[in-house]
Amino acid sequence: MIYKISVPPVAEVEEIRVLEWQGAVGHRFNAGDLVVELETHKAIVEVRAAQPGYLRQILSAAGEWQEIGLPLAILSDEVDESLPDSSETLSDLAVEFSIT
Amino acid sequence: MSSDTSPPVEKIFFREAIARAAREEMRKTPEIIILGQDVGYFGGSYREFDGLFEEFGATRVRDTPVAEASMVGFGVGAAAAGLRPLVCITYMDFLMLGFDPLINYGAKLRFKTGGQLTAPVIVKTTAGAKGQGVAHSQCIEAWLMGVPGLKVVAPATPADAYGLLKAAFRETGPVVYVDHKRLFPIAGPVPLAETIVPIGKAAVRRAGTDLTITSHSFMVRTALEAAKMLEGEGIDAEVIDLRSLAPLDMATISESVRKTGAILTLEEGQVTAGVGAEVVSRVMETIGAVPFSRIGALPAPVSSNPILEAACLPSTGRVVQAAMALQRKKARGVNHVVAETIE
Repeated sequence: MIYKISVPPVAEVEEIRVLEWQGAVGHRFNAGDLVVELETHKAIVEVRAAQPGYLRQILSAAGEWQEIGLPLAILSDEVDESLPDSSETLSDLAVEFSIT
Repeated sequence: MSSDTSPPVEKIFFREAIARAAREEMRKTPEIIILGQDVGYFGGSYREFDGLFEEFGATRVRDTPVAEASMVGFGVGAAAAGLRPLVCITYMDFLMLGFDPLINYGAKLRFKTGGQLTAPVIVKTTAGAKGQGVAHSQCIEAWLMGVPGLKVVAPATPADAYGLLKAAFRETGPVVYVDHKRLFPIAGPVPLAETIVPIGKAAVRRAGTDLTITSHSFMVRTALEAAKMLEGEGIDAEVIDLRSLAPLDMATISESVRKTGAILTLEEGQVTAGVGAEVVSRVMETIGAVPFSRIGALPAPVSSNPILEAACLPSTGRVVQAAMALQRKKARGVNHVVAETIE
């Protein structure tokens, strides 16, 4: 199955800046792995995958901005599943996030 | 080559715009120092001085005790002695403690010494409500507008936070630079090239023909939201971001009201003797009587209870209602008496 990963709902924040992806396209994440670090006006948000998957496409690269709830990347269960043209209909991969 | 002639920009957080302005000016001007609580290693209460302590060291970026009267006093004295201090007062409510050195000494020094001494000090402070209650929420910038010798600026965007702070560092006298707690989560475009926003110049944020809304700081966003909602009511509002409260850019404001024929002022502080009272009076001195409306916080302390806080503060809905009432008044010709114009 193919999923998207979106900006989690951080309180009082409209928009974040992508700080760093923890792996290139094709990288396999295990449950609990840090996937991406996001930057708000005062904190770093660590986004962790709640299930295993492959990072397939980065939609917001490091340094780019994205609004809360909008997609950051596409992940899939298998490494070779073909990707859709648009991320719109994809369901969100469960993530855990912590703010430091 | 692109035909787009607008200068290249970078999108950065409001706090980063402040840090960038300070960093650029500090590199150029060794007399600039920063004083305040947590401005050093911590990088500022809103991280708006991030990186400055590392680059310029503890001599130029100095943590102070919680002693606002002494902080402003030290800043004014150091300015008189040749430095260019920026004193950071985390909550504008506590700038009250610094009024004596700021108003009785800083603002008057040049006059009192016949120009022999000046006090080029910036007092940077943060106003506005964000869940912190009666003594950490106030907007008292209107109290400072009538002090001869004092300039007061209040940016609403990262670009103006950057450009107005740059301008403030080049002043010969004291400047109070007021930002707002709710502006810090915001990011926006800032010119890549060094840019100064002149003090005393307002910005038309939205052009319109039916009424003029003036505002400053965080409330500019509320004004723009209201203007968008008024579109649906067939009302075309012009929104002016004052940017500078002392001096006021009366040329831009009056020109707008001459065109629209009505003015609504919006501020987060109190209406009584507020920014809007001054703006409306000055407009009428210039162009004669027009229908007007003033919106501000209700005459009550700002609660830390979020429901009571929201009830006290101006909202988009209140602005829309007032603007619609103002349009009806304008259509009826009420309040449209011709006053003596004082040139």
